[in-house]
Amino acid sequence: MITRLLQIAATTLWLLVALSYQTTIAAPANASTSELRQHINALATGKIKDKPRRIEALAQLGSNKAIAALNALIEGRLYSDKASTQVFMKHGDHFVDPLSLTAVNTTSKLKKVKANNKVRRIARAAIARLTLKSPNSEQRLQAVEVMFKAADHKLLPLIDEALEFEKEQEVKQKLLEIRAAITLQNKHASKEAQLEAIGQLRQMGSQQALGKLQAFINNSGASAAALKAADLAIKAIEKSQAIWGVFQNIWYGLSLGSVLLLAAIGLAITFGVMGIINMAHGEMVMLGAYTTFVVQEVIRTSFPGLFEYSLLIALPLAFLVAGAVGFAMERSIIRFLYGRPLETLLATWGVSLVLQQAIRSIFGPTNKEVGNPEWMSGAFELGGLMLTYNRLWILAFSLIVFAGILLVLNRSHFGLQMRAVTQNRRMAASMGIKTPWVDAFTFALGSGIAGIAGVALSQIANVSPNLGQSYIIDSFMVVVFGGVGNLWGTLVGAMSLGVANKFLEPYAGAVLAKILTLVVIILFIQKKPRGLFAQKGRAVEA
Amino acid sequence: MISQALFTRFSLGARVLIISLCVVAILVPAANLLLPPEHFAHVPSHLLPLWGKYLCYAMLALALDLVWGYCGILSLGHGAFFALGGYACGMYLMRQIGPRGVYADPVLPDFMVFLNWQELPWFWQGFDQFWFAMLMVVAVPGLLAFVFGWFAFRSRVTGVYLSIITQALTYALLLAFFRNDMGFGGNNGLTDFKDILGFSLQADTTRASLFAASALLLALVFVVCQFIVSSKLGKLMQAVNHAESRVRFTGYRVEHIKLFAFVVSAMIAGIAGALYVPQVGIINPGEFAPANSIEVVIWTAVGGRGTLLGPIIGALLVNGGKSYFTAAFPEVWLFALGALFVAVTLFLPHGLMGLFKQICTRFNKRSATAAKVTPLMKPEAAE
Amino acid sequence: MSRFSKIISATAFAALISSSMLAGSAIASDTIKVGVLHSLSGTMAISETTLKDAMLMLIEEQNKKGGVLGKQLEPVVVDPASDWPLFAEKAKELLAVHKVSAVFGNWTSVSRKSVLPVFEELNGILFYPVQYEGEESQRNVFYTGAAPNQQAIPAVDYLLENEEVERWVLAGTDYVYPRTTNKILAAYLKAKGVSEEDIMINYTPFGHSDWQTIVSDIKAFGSAGKKTAVVSTINGDANVPFYKELGNQGISAEDIPVVAFSVGEEELAGLDTEPLVGHLAAWNYFQSVDTPANAQFIKTWRGFVKDEGRVTNDPMEAHYIGFNMWVKAVEKAGTTDQDAVIDALIGVSVPNLSGGYSTMMPNHHITKPVLIGEIQADGQFEIVDETDGLVAGDAWSDFLPDSAQLISDWRKPLSCGNFNVSSKTCGGTEGK
Repeated sequence: MITRLLQIAATTLWLLVALSYQTTIAAPANASTSELRQHINALATGKIKDKPRRIEALAQLGSNKAIAALNALIEGRLYSDKASTQVFMKHGDHFVDPLSLTAVNTTSKLKKVKANNKVRRIARAAIARLTLKSPNSEQRLQAVEVMFKAADHKLLPLIDEALEFEKEQEVKQKLLEIRAAITLQNKHASKEAQLEAIGQLRQMGSQQALGKLQAFINNSGASAAALKAADLAIKAIEKSQAIWGVFQNIWYGLSLGSVLLLAAIGLAITFGVMGIINMAHGEMVMLGAYTTFVVQEVIRTSFPGLFEYSLLIALPLAFLVAGAVGFAMERSIIRFLYGRPLETLLATWGVSLVLQQAIRSIFGPTNKEVGNPEWMSGAFELGGLMLTYNRLWILAFSLIVFAGILLVLNRSHFGLQMRAVTQNRRMAASMGIKTPWVDAFTFALGSGIAGIAGVALSQIANVSPNLGQSYIIDSFMVVVFGGVGNLWGTLVGAMSLGVANKFLEPYAGAVLAKILTLVVIILFIQKKPRGLFAQKGRAVEA
Repeated sequence: MISQALFTRFSLGARVLIISLCVVAILVPAANLLLPPEHFAHVPSHLLPLWGKYLCYAMLALALDLVWGYCGILSLGHGAFFALGGYACGMYLMRQIGPRGVYADPVLPDFMVFLNWQELPWFWQGFDQFWFAMLMVVAVPGLLAFVFGWFAFRSRVTGVYLSIITQALTYALLLAFFRNDMGFGGNNGLTDFKDILGFSLQADTTRASLFAASALLLALVFVVCQFIVSSKLGKLMQAVNHAESRVRFTGYRVEHIKLFAFVVSAMIAGIAGALYVPQVGIINPGEFAPANSIEVVIWTAVGGRGTLLGPIIGALLVNGGKSYFTAAFPEVWLFALGALFVAVTLFLPHGLMGLFKQICTRFNKRSATAAKVTPLMKPEAAE
Repeated sequence: MSRFSKIISATAFAALISSSMLAGSAIASDTIKVGVLHSLSGTMAISETTLKDAMLMLIEEQNKKGGVLGKQLEPVVVDPASDWPLFAEKAKELLAVHKVSAVFGNWTSVSRKSVLPVFEELNGILFYPVQYEGEESQRNVFYTGAAPNQQAIPAVDYLLENEEVERWVLAGTDYVYPRTTNKILAAYLKAKGVSEEDIMINYTPFGHSDWQTIVSDIKAFGSAGKKTAVVSTINGDANVPFYKELGNQGISAEDIPVVAFSVGEEELAGLDTEPLVGHLAAWNYFQSVDTPANAQFIKTWRGFVKDEGRVTNDPMEAHYIGFNMWVKAVEKAGTTDQDAVIDALIGVSVPNLSGGYSTMMPNHHITKPVLIGEIQADGQFEIVDETDGLVAGDAWSDFLPDSAQLISDWRKPLSCGNFNVSSKTCGGTEGK
C-alpha cells in the first residue's frame, strides 16, 4: 500500500512539477534558480553524514522546485558528475536536469548519489513540508502522514498556517493530531492545552497515538492531572486494541488456515478420496510454484506488460503441469499399487526424491524470485484490523478452489463417476465406468489442485526445491484431523488448526504452539480415530 | 539345550547370520588392531565406526520389522525411539566429559554454561551412572511407546491413521528437541564426547569394542526376535497382521498383543540409538526428522518385511550404497535412491528376500513339487 | 524353503556382508587433493552448493597458475546431504581414504561441531567460511567467516550512531548462533545504557513460514515512541516469508530498519527487493564492493558457472581468502604436511576482495573489514558504512561472563584454544 502510494505520489509530483504548478503555490520568491541549483548540487558532495544538513538547507529555500530532486534522491535516481559537480536525475533510461527537467546528454561517467535510511527519512520530511500546501489533497494527506511520525515543535507555525487553509476534513483531522503530538512534546505547554491534546490522541486511538502518549508519560515533568489523563487515554486505547487484537488473531488464524487448506486440498483428493499416501504431494505444490516462476521469467523477458496477470496465466499452466506429472505417476507407478496404501507411501516418497533432485538440477538449488503483482502487495486497515492483500487473496482463492472442487465432485459427470468408483469399484466397473481412467484422472485432478496451490504459495513462501517438504506433514495432519474422505472436514480442519495455532502463539511462542497443536491432533485422533467428520457407512470398513 | 533350540528354531539363513555376526564381531576388530596397516586384510580405523553405524541401522530396521512385518503396524516414527535411546546415551557421555569442557565446568555441559543454567536440571540427574543411562536407553522409548500405544491401540487407530500420527509424534519431538530451552542442547544436540566407561572414544580399541558390541547385540536382538516371532505370542502377532478382527472375535485382546510388539520394538530401537551415538559422535534433533523414519521403512521394504533377515540386509545394503553414492556421484545419488524405492515397491513387493525365494523356487521346481511352499509372508496388512 | 534356496541365500548374505565391508580404498597419485565438504542435497544445498562451485573455481584458477608446489590440485567433492552425522562420516572419508591436504566446507554450526572430533583425531585442516557464533577455537580449524565482533557489534554501533535507535528487537531462529549473538548483543546494549524493557527477544523454529503475528508484534513494539530497529539472526529459508510479511504489513526501513546477519546477495536473489529498500545487512564483503580485485572475481565466477546473473556473497569471499591463505602457507612451509601448514598459516596475509589484506590471527580467526549495506531495488547492497580499519575476529566474546576470561593462541608455547587468563590454565581440550 505504502509503496503504491509512493508511486502515485511520485508520478503526480512529476506531473505537477512538469506543469509548473509552482506559480499557484506560494513559494518564497527569494529562492533564485542558481541558489537552488547550488544546493541541489551540494546533495552529491560530502559524506552521508553531512547529507541531512544539506537537505535541510535545500528545504529551507522553500521552493517546491526542489521536490523532484529530493524524490530522486529517495528513489536512488539522483546521479552526479564527478568532474563538473553537476547533478542529474535519471528518468527512464535518460538523464534530465533536476530543475528544468529537460533531457541532457551527458557523456561523462555518472555516479549514483548515496542515501541511507536517515537521509531518506529527512528528505521525505522535507518534501512533506514543501507539499503541505499543495493543491492536491492526496499529496497533502501523505505529507501529514509523514509529518506525524516526525512531529517536532519547529513545525508548529507551518501546521497552524496549514490549518487555516485546509478544507479537506481528513487532512485537517490529521493536522490537529500532529498539533496535539507537538503540544505533548512541549514541556512548557499549558495544562489545558496538554489535556486537549491528550483527548485528541485518545480519539485517534491508533498505535501511533499510543506511542506519542507513552513518550509523554516517559518524559514526565507534566502535571499530575495531565499524567492521569494520559494514563487513562493509554488504557482506553489499549483496551480497544485488545479487542481488535482478538479479531486480528482470528484473521491471522484464518489466513494461516487458508494456506493449510490450499496445501492440503489436493491431498484430500489423492489421499482422502483415493487412499493413496502421496508423499510426493508436496512436490506437486513445488511444481506449481516453479511453473509460476517460469511464467514470470517468460513474461519478464518477452511481455513485460503482462506481469500483473502473471499469476492468472500461471494458474491453468500449473494445473496442467502438476496434473500431467500426477497422471504420469498414476499410470506408471501407482496403478500397480492399489489396495496396498502403505506401499504407495514408499513409491511416492521415491518419486518425491527424484522430483526434488530434478528441479534442483534444472533450476539450481537456490531460491527463485517470484514477484508479487501490484494487486497482491501491501495492506489496508479495516477498523483496527490490518489486512494484507496477499493474505486476503489467498484466503479468497483457497475458498474458490474449495468451492470449485465441491462442484466438480458433486455436480459434474466426472465427479459422479469418481464417487462411484470410490464407493464401490466393482459395481462402478460393471456399470460401464472405465475405472482405470477415472483413477488416473482423479489423481491428476488432485495433483493439479496441488499445482494451483503452488501458484498461491509462491507468493508467501520460498520457491526452492525444498518447498514441498515444508508442507507435507501439515497437509497430512489437516486431512487426517478433518476426516479422510470428507472435503468439508478438510476445510474445517485447516481453519481450526490455523486459528488454534495463532491463539496459542502469543502465549506459548511459535515453536510450542506448533508442538501443542500436534499433540492435540494426536490426542484427538485417539478420541475420534476417523477425524472430525468421519465417513459413515459400510464403505469405511472396506 | 539352547544350542539345540537354536538349531531347531532357526532357519539356515538365520544361523548363518548369527554365526557370521559373531565371526565379524571378532575378526573385524582383530583385523583392525592386530594386523599392520600395510596388510591387505587390515581394516582401517575409520571404517569401524562406519560399519558399526550400519549395524545400528540394521538393528533399527529389525525393530521396525517386528511391528510392521509381523504385526502390521506401520510406524513412521521409529526414528523417535532411536533418537531417544541415543539422547539417553548421549547424556551419559556428556556427563563423562566432566571438567574437560571448554568452560571447564565440573558438572554442567558446555551448552548449559553457555545458556546460563545454574544447576543441572532434574532430568539430567543420574545420567553420570552408566547403569542408569543404559536403563533409560530402554525405559524412555519403552515408556513413550507404551503410553502412545496404549492410547492408540485401545481406540483402534489403525493403518494409515496410525502411520500418520506416529509421524506427528516424531515431528513434535523434533520441534521440541530443537528448542534450546528444553535442555538438550537445541539444534547442535550433544557432541564433543570424550570417553565411555573411562575409555577414550578416539582409541582404536574402544572403537573396535563398540563395533564388536554392535555386532553381538544385533545377533542377540535377532535371536530374541526369532524367539518372539516363533512363540505363541509371535503367531498371534502375525494373526493380527492378517486378520485383526478375527483375532479379536476369537477372544484375544488385540491391543495387548500390539502394545507388546510396539514396546519391545521401541526398546530395541532405543538400544540401537544408544550404540549409534558413541560411534558417530553426535546426537541432535535431526534424528527425529520424519524423513529418517521413512528411510527406515524403506530399508525394511528393500530387504523384505515379514522376515527377520530382510531388514538387516536392506539396512546394510541401502546404507552401504548411500555411503558409496554420496561420494562417487554426489549430484545424482538422490535419483538413484528415489528410483530404488520405486523399483522395489513395484517389482519386489517382498523385497530382496522375496526375490531370493522366487529364484530358488524356480530352480527347485522339479524337486520341490512335494513340499508346497508356504508364502513367506502375506502381502497385505489388513486395513 | 528348500535346501538349495537356503544355501543360496546364506552364501549371498555372507557375500553381501563381506563386500559391503570392502568398500572404499585409497588411491595414491601425484596431485594434491583438496576436500570440498558442502551439502549438495537436502535443506542446506540451497546455500552450500554455491560454495562448492566457488571452491571448484578457485582450484581451477590455481591450477591454471601452475598449481601448488609444482603439483596440480585435485578437488574431492562429497555430499554430506545436510545430514549432520553424515558430515562426520564424510570428513573421515576425505581425511582417511582420500588423504586430502585440506578441507573447505560446512555451513551450519551443528555440522561443524559434528566434524570437529574427526579433524582433531585425524589431524586435518578445515576452513570454515561462514559467519558463526564464536565460542570456539580449535587447532585444526581456521575460521574465515565473521565472529560476532566482526559483524553484529559494528552493525549495532552503526544503528546506535546513525539511526539513534533506542529500542531493539532481537529476532532469530532458535539455534546456537542467534542465541549467542543475541546474548552478546543484549549484554552490549545494556552496557550502552539500553534498558531491559527496550529489548525484545524472539525465537522462531527453522523454516518458520507464518510471520504474521511476530511482524505485527514488532510493529507494536516499534510504535512506543522510540526509534526501533530489528536485529535479525533469522536463518536461511525463513527469511523470504519474513521479509515478504514486513513489506506487506508496510514496515519500511525508514520506520523500523532490519539489520540481518544471515541475508546476503544469494538470499535476496529469491526476493522482490523493491519493498525492502533500506533494510540493512552487515557482512565483510558485498558484491557491490568497488575494487578491481572484486570485479575480476565476479567476472571469473560468472564465466565459471556460465551464468551472467549469478551473484557473489560473503562466504564465497571467505573461501577465496581461506584458499589463498592455505596456498600461501603450503608454499611457505614447502610441504602439505598438516602440522607444518597449521603452524605456517598463522600470520599469513592475503588480499581480500574489498581492497585490503586479511591476516590469519593466532586464534585461527582472520582480520576483516566490516561493511554495512542497505538493500537496493536491484537485489544488491549499497555500502553505507565501513569500519575504519580491519577488525580481528575474537574467538571468545568479552561480553559473556564465562568466556570473557578465555583467550586463544595457537602459537607455541601457549598452543591453547581456550586459555583461562585468571586461572592460568588451558581448560578443556588440551593443546598438542
